[in-house]
Amino acid sequence: MNLLTLLIFIPLLFGLLIVVLPSSLRNSYKYITLLAAIVQLGISLLLYFQFKTGPANAGINHENQFQFVQKLPWIQLDLGSMGKMQIDYFVGIDGISITMLVMSALVMVVAAIASWEIKKNLKGYFILFLILDMAVFGVFCSLDFFLFYLFYELMLLPLYFLIGMWGGARREYAAIKFFLYTLFGSVFMLLVMVGLYLSVKDPATGSHTFNIIQMMNPANYDANSIFSTVNHQTIFGFPARTVGFVILFIAFAIKVPVVPLHTWLPDAHVEAPTAVSIILAGVLLKIGGYGIIRICMGIFPDVAVSGSFVLGLLGVISILYGALNALAQRDLKRMIAYSSVSHMGFVLLGIASLTAEGISGAVMQMVSHGFLSSMLFFLVGVIYTRVHDRDIYNFRGLGTLMPQFTVFVMIGFFASLGLPGFSAFIAEAFTLAGTFKSASVNGLLPHWMAACAALGILLGACYFLWTLQRMFFGTERLKGGEEWKHALKDINWREKAALVPLALMALLLGIMPSLVFGKINESVIALVDFLQHK
Amino acid sequence: MAYHALAAVLLPLLAFVINCFIKGKAAGWVSTIAILLGSVVSIIVFNHTFNTNTIHVSRLWFTIGDTQVYAGILLNNLSILMLLLVNLIALPVHIFSMAYMGHDQRYGRYFTCLSLFCFSMLALVVVDNMVLFYAFWELVGFSSYLLIGFWYKKEKAIQANKKAFIMNRIGDIGLLIAILLLYAQYHTFDLIKLFGQGGLVSQSFIKNGMWIATGASIPAVWQYIACGGIFLAVCAKSAQFPLHTWLPDAMEGPTSVSALIHAATMVAAGIFLLGRVYPMFNTAELDALAFIGCFTAFMAATIALTQNDLKRVLAFSTISQLGFMVMAMGINAYASSLFHLVTHAFFKCLLFLVAGVVIHEMQHVKDENQLDIDPQNILYMGGLRKKMPLTFIAAIIGGAALVGLPLTSGYLSKDGILIQAFEWSDTKSVGYKIVPIMMLITSWLTAFYVARLIFKVFFGRLRVLDVKPVVLCHISDGGWQYRVPLILLSLCCLFPVFSLNPLLYEQSWLFKAFTTPDHLERMNIYHTIIPAGLNILSVAVIYYAYAVYIQERKMLPFAQNNWVFDFSYNQWYFNKAYHTLFVKPVLALGEGLFWFDRKVIDGFIQLLQNILLWLSKVADVMDRYVIDGFLHLLTAIVQYIGNFVRSFQTGRVQYYLLSMLAVIVAWFIFKTLI
Repeated sequence: MNLLTLLIFIPLLFGLLIVVLPSSLRNSYKYITLLAAIVQLGISLLLYFQFKTGPANAGINHENQFQFVQKLPWIQLDLGSMGKMQIDYFVGIDGISITMLVMSALVMVVAAIASWEIKKNLKGYFILFLILDMAVFGVFCSLDFFLFYLFYELMLLPLYFLIGMWGGARREYAAIKFFLYTLFGSVFMLLVMVGLYLSVKDPATGSHTFNIIQMMNPANYDANSIFSTVNHQTIFGFPARTVGFVILFIAFAIKVPVVPLHTWLPDAHVEAPTAVSIILAGVLLKIGGYGIIRICMGIFPDVAVSGSFVLGLLGVISILYGALNALAQRDLKRMIAYSSVSHMGFVLLGIASLTAEGISGAVMQMVSHGFLSSMLFFLVGVIYTRVHDRDIYNFRGLGTLMPQFTVFVMIGFFASLGLPGFSAFIAEAFTLAGTFKSASVNGLLPHWMAACAALGILLGACYFLWTLQRMFFGTERLKGGEEWKHALKDINWREKAALVPLALMALLLGIMPSLVFGKINESVIALVDFLQHK
Repeated sequence: MAYHALAAVLLPLLAFVINCFIKGKAAGWVSTIAILLGSVVSIIVFNHTFNTNTIHVSRLWFTIGDTQVYAGILLNNLSILMLLLVNLIALPVHIFSMAYMGHDQRYGRYFTCLSLFCFSMLALVVVDNMVLFYAFWELVGFSSYLLIGFWYKKEKAIQANKKAFIMNRIGDIGLLIAILLLYAQYHTFDLIKLFGQGGLVSQSFIKNGMWIATGASIPAVWQYIACGGIFLAVCAKSAQFPLHTWLPDAMEGPTSVSALIHAATMVAAGIFLLGRVYPMFNTAELDALAFIGCFTAFMAATIALTQNDLKRVLAFSTISQLGFMVMAMGINAYASSLFHLVTHAFFKCLLFLVAGVVIHEMQHVKDENQLDIDPQNILYMGGLRKKMPLTFIAAIIGGAALVGLPLTSGYLSKDGILIQAFEWSDTKSVGYKIVPIMMLITSWLTAFYVARLIFKVFFGRLRVLDVKPVVLCHISDGGWQYRVPLILLSLCCLFPVFSLNPLLYEQSWLFKAFTTPDHLERMNIYHTIIPAGLNILSVAVIYYAYAVYIQERKMLPFAQNNWVFDFSYNQWYFNKAYHTLFVKPVLALGEGLFWFDRKVIDGFIQLLQNILLWLSKVADVMDRYVIDGFLHLLTAIVQYIGNFVRSFQTGRVQYYLLSMLAVIVAWFIFKTLI
């Protein structure tokens, strides 16, 4: 049994178990889900430790350099004169995917723990949760575009219901908004996918293919096809390859999210239950970044290089815009949602620099943000489940009432604002290093972009410290009075079990960044190399 | 020796980790023993390696792209000196804190934070590359944040620590940008490779508006921006204009913390940074540094004249003295700047501990008599010299060193700076004379505010009696935890520690360690006239203060309500200006962008949604009335025809015959007509 396949479909097995279990055993669902997530974490750690590094295992555009590969013919249709339709079940990982897998697996465990507070319609919730879990891992492992798209769309459905049924007051509005936004992106992605399929031929079989790695090789494109690298075709007067890149980029940029395609995020976060917020921020956003690296940059390297200035600019705008918006929030969850926009801007900026430092920093930022944003949303959930209020102005002096909770909040906040010793610092510092270096190495991004992005780090300190001062310090004063005071108990062992691993991971990666850099470095170098010789 | 240094750095970290897990009074001892052992180790390191060779040990930390980032320890004169200094200052402060914080509920937490600070500060001085330097640079800021806001229920304290962290963050961003620009240019973070002798920085140059290094060349403006970033970092950490406003507020933390962090060690980190990256600056940049330092020193001294809060006076005096050090770096008096850093650390720490004892006793008086007074306000003090003689003597020694009177360490370091300032201005045009002259004036202002402070606190009569005529006064010097640190630090403020000759700074071992011998010539008259003139006038100023405050003669040049006084008392209105110029606009921008987000971007989405809805309504209308309408029409027609035809099916033969006849007649008419 291939480990990756096992990793992807484990949640489905457990999901089936929940389906057949009668409702009288509904209290066991949460344990089953948690067990599924833990098994997945175990497998992903096994993958991590078995993962081989070195230039021979770089991956990116060499099919034989991917690891844990499983390739099975899936849909083979003879279309007569149009050749054979070739869709494979093709999974495999390289340095960039492996870090995402481990991070997602841990976030899923935390999300499973956070799901324990769900009280209604447990069967539906946990089944959808596990389907989502499967889809996420499928996306990170797929190397066939069709398979990728399938998993990518499959994420959408459970999320829509998870937000729309178990969410807050305006859950339906938020769910629809989220659904339409992402659907808008993926519908056009479908067209580009079909276009790519029709343009690329597998040199071995001579038939069209959805193989992503084949799509990275310019030699595999038919000379007269729409996305041909030789004959520059146009769509509505624009170069076809640029249009293809832009459409794919928009689809992923919605996920990241990149300003101005971000407004689904604050609403979805605010309305979603804690566990779904954790998955959204921790994992879903990374699929955007991962997709940009693997799909956009991989398939359209030529456009990626020429468009990197715009990408970098969007990154800088996201950083500053998100941070300034966070400064204006009074809903704690919304504030953190906007801070996510700001932090994910660094991912885009790092990728746009097309330097090894920048892309490594971006991957590190994705991993780091996965842990930290999960932690932050979990922390908000702790308050919200106790008093059903998140307004920053309604709390004061929580430090006295909930000292241990406050310690975790401080760790989460300071780690997020880039305090050295935590992962976000390394990530942001090297993203900026790559951006600065870009000017002299490949001349793509000007220096001022990095300087402006650095301002985002300053603003980050402002909104986090303000919140800390406003909510947690000072003499205790609560809107709900004595009633809240009784409700606001310090965190219990379950909550600690979720928070401690996240905090430890953020610390560990800050002190030993080689845990990530060691695994991704060859792949990143290969990617930069690939982009230079597009 | 590198491992000894590493041990000295890691001991406080160990104490920090232990203190995270234990409760109760043991925390104080854990931290103090760690710092005691650290001091011993750093003395050993100092004895073995000071003035010998540079020690550099490093291990691979991680690889990113083709850059290998190392983590290691760099020991040269600068770092060994700082290692020793930080330990030697931290030790008395730890001892002092055991008594000073003894009754605090969060005693353990205090020492946890203090150990974290010591670890960060010690690591900052010995690390060998810019990434680690930045990391610990920010960690000292973080631990300072924790300690300023230690009394987290106090509104002022938590405002102050937020301000301190954000102001420091501005500097951090500057430092980060500088480090990354250096990395982009030279492809390394290593301090020796960058700033060592014949290092990359010294090989690079600016030519034709380009900053040219072996790796790359970029427009020269980025060299200035990198230096500007360093300046910003220095200004934030060492509280120089324009980022100085956090330091006075930081006095909201416990006084022992102010002594260690906000007087002696952390605020000196900016000077240390300048020392580390010194080869980077060109003449114009050094001049800018000199002016920043000079202005800050003067400004802070004028503010210190009118403050009534004991700790704030000392805080402004710290800013002023740091200005001296920055200015000294700017005029190429590298050795004197570091010398002053060391002497200042001792005498300012001493003064703060004195303040701590005084405040502690005043608080005692306040609690015992249930008075409504601020225990830090010098207007309520007075005549304390008889009740606390040891503290009084310590204050006199510390004050004398701060003023720079002969026989103290301050004399040696400060007069050195002034002499070199005059020598430096001789090599420049006339306009540069303003720097040494301002510094001279600042020195006299220093003499005045120090004298005012000491006279108000220790001389005259206890003015608490004005508030309540009969008060219980159990005031003393306190226990050994107060006395020992004061005695130790007082001894370190005297000249023999630094130079056997009490009058010649050039003969100090510390000065010699950072200069090449040819600078030692006493080549001009400045070396005699400046110390003499300065001190004679200082004594005169002190006597003047004595006349004003003790003899209570009306000799003050300004009334206490005119604008000059207000300008000084309100700290040149910097806080207000920053609030209006920066804080408010940024917050407004945030609000504005949030409005934009909701109204414009979400509005656009809403518009799209509305258009979609409208389109679907149109489709609905089409569906219902046009397509369905057509179908309905068809059915209606069919129905009508059916009905019509049905009307013939009556079952009566006459009607059938009639209709047959009618059809036939119609047929014939039709035929005949066509």
